[in-house]
Amino acid sequence: MSTKIRQKDKELSSWLIFILPALLVVILLQLYPLIYSLFLVFQDWKLTESPEPKGFIGLWNLINIFKNDVFRRSVVNSLIISGTAVFFELIIGLSLAYLFNKERRLNSIVRTLILLPMVIAPVAAGTLWRMMLNGRAGLVNHILSFINIHGPNWLADPQWSLVSVILLEIWQFTPFVMIISAAAITSIPKSLREAASIDGAGRLMTFKNVDLPLLAPTLALTMIFRVLESLLSLDSIYSLTFGGPGYSTYTLTFFIYNEGLRSFNFGQAAAASWLFMIFTSLCIVWVFRFQNKDK
Amino acid sequence: MELNKSKQHPSQMLITALYYILVVISAFVVLVPIIYLVMNSLKLPRDFLKVPPTFLPEVVTLKHYASLFTKAKTLKYFTNSLTVTSVTTFVTIILGSFAAYGLSRMKLSKHALGMVIFTFLFIRFYPKVTTIMPYFIIMRKLNLLDTVWAVILGHLGITIPFVTWLMLVVYNDLPYSIEEAALVDGATPIQRFLMIIFPMTAPSVASSAILASFMSWNEFLIASSITRRDATVLSIAVASFVSDKGIQWGQMAAMSLIMILPMLLFALVAQKYLVNGLTFGAVKG
Repeated sequence: MSTKIRQKDKELSSWLIFILPALLVVILLQLYPLIYSLFLVFQDWKLTESPEPKGFIGLWNLINIFKNDVFRRSVVNSLIISGTAVFFELIIGLSLAYLFNKERRLNSIVRTLILLPMVIAPVAAGTLWRMMLNGRAGLVNHILSFINIHGPNWLADPQWSLVSVILLEIWQFTPFVMIISAAAITSIPKSLREAASIDGAGRLMTFKNVDLPLLAPTLALTMIFRVLESLLSLDSIYSLTFGGPGYSTYTLTFFIYNEGLRSFNFGQAAAASWLFMIFTSLCIVWVFRFQNKDK
Repeated sequence: MELNKSKQHPSQMLITALYYILVVISAFVVLVPIIYLVMNSLKLPRDFLKVPPTFLPEVVTLKHYASLFTKAKTLKYFTNSLTVTSVTTFVTIILGSFAAYGLSRMKLSKHALGMVIFTFLFIRFYPKVTTIMPYFIIMRKLNLLDTVWAVILGHLGITIPFVTWLMLVVYNDLPYSIEEAALVDGATPIQRFLMIIFPMTAPSVASSAILASFMSWNEFLIASSITRRDATVLSIAVASFVSDKGIQWGQMAAMSLIMILPMLLFALVAQKYLVNGLTFGAVKG
């Protein structure tokens, strides 16, 4: 292998052609729209009032958004929904991963079944649970009545509708946590567990002292991924509650969507979404540091 | 371990019983809603208002499906979705794996590679709702509003960075020595990639393709911002039942099922690749 050929192979230009098309896509379809929306943050623009931006208005969009009650409520709702849902997803997902971890036929069938909710389009999962949770004629309250529980009017009640959104989220994305946890559990060296059991550690002790520290990095990453994805989700809320009743299930994403594409209040929507972006960027920086430290 | 099954200790039996109960509960929680959707799509409208509700339809009817395909343009929505998903997936795999291979062989400095990976993570997780207004404005200017091409472009912006990110890890793990032989033969980088590398990493390509196609088929946000009538895809059609006055449960159930059934079957067939792709992205990425 002559070093000359190798040297030539390392030349940037010959590889640039591989990257160029994808780079163009990223610039045109991500970078440009992102910069455009940043420009909108400082513009006075409602599409209903004028076809073009009406001009620079400084920080007024940001100031007005903080004064907006619906925005503040949406932020709180988003935090409640994502926090609660991801908490349960992690606990149930990890438990299911342990429960169905052993290689046996029934387990692999169950694992396949559990996967299914995750591949359902969120928008259809929303309509599906809209029918399940219907207060009068829904299946959930019917099943609850078997054990003598008078189910609430899920989607018509401000508090219960929030619970409904959380339940849907858990139903759909616990499988994701299960898959990731199962892979992480399998990668724990058997010798470590054996050593622990020789030392006389019970199952629970082994889990706490051997498994959990090894799983912690994966679980932390999964948690951040899920929180971010859950904050971004719009489709399931759109078809399950449409933010209602009232504003009780408005999430940040739903608020921005409504402000931008239904009220065509572009400036306000851009301001809200950039505030949202700052928060997610911080999370992404954290993920990134975390992954780099790992390597 | 299986040998002394008949002589199980009582506490062991309790655990076994508990295990089976949990199997049944898991299967129940997952399957009942899905089957309920199927049942609802076959019920007559009067059955929906029954209190207590019935799980099985009293009379099986196909009229919801019939009216979806005759009155509503469901066939068109379906073909739109199919076009968007297949074009998006195809282009994504080509451009994404090309870019990933290029990036992995450019011998970027650690710092530069870090920046690239950060960009991918950022694109995957920044709130997409930020860019839908610019998309709307761009597509209006390009005169692409309400065309499948606008939807495809919108999806490519998400799927290409995602697949590049996945494949980058794959190519980074591939030893350079494999290509050296071809290098001596004087094969160009493109020949080397197409003849040797791409076929070798086929399973990872399959995983990426599956994830990209799921993303595209299920996507709602971008599609809803740039389609009005002609380029309507299934996700929009499903959502449209929600804002309708007096929801038509039967049609809503049927439409939802039309949308999710292909992906459910696809997931069952290609489960291995789906799971690989998902764990890969989270555990290794």
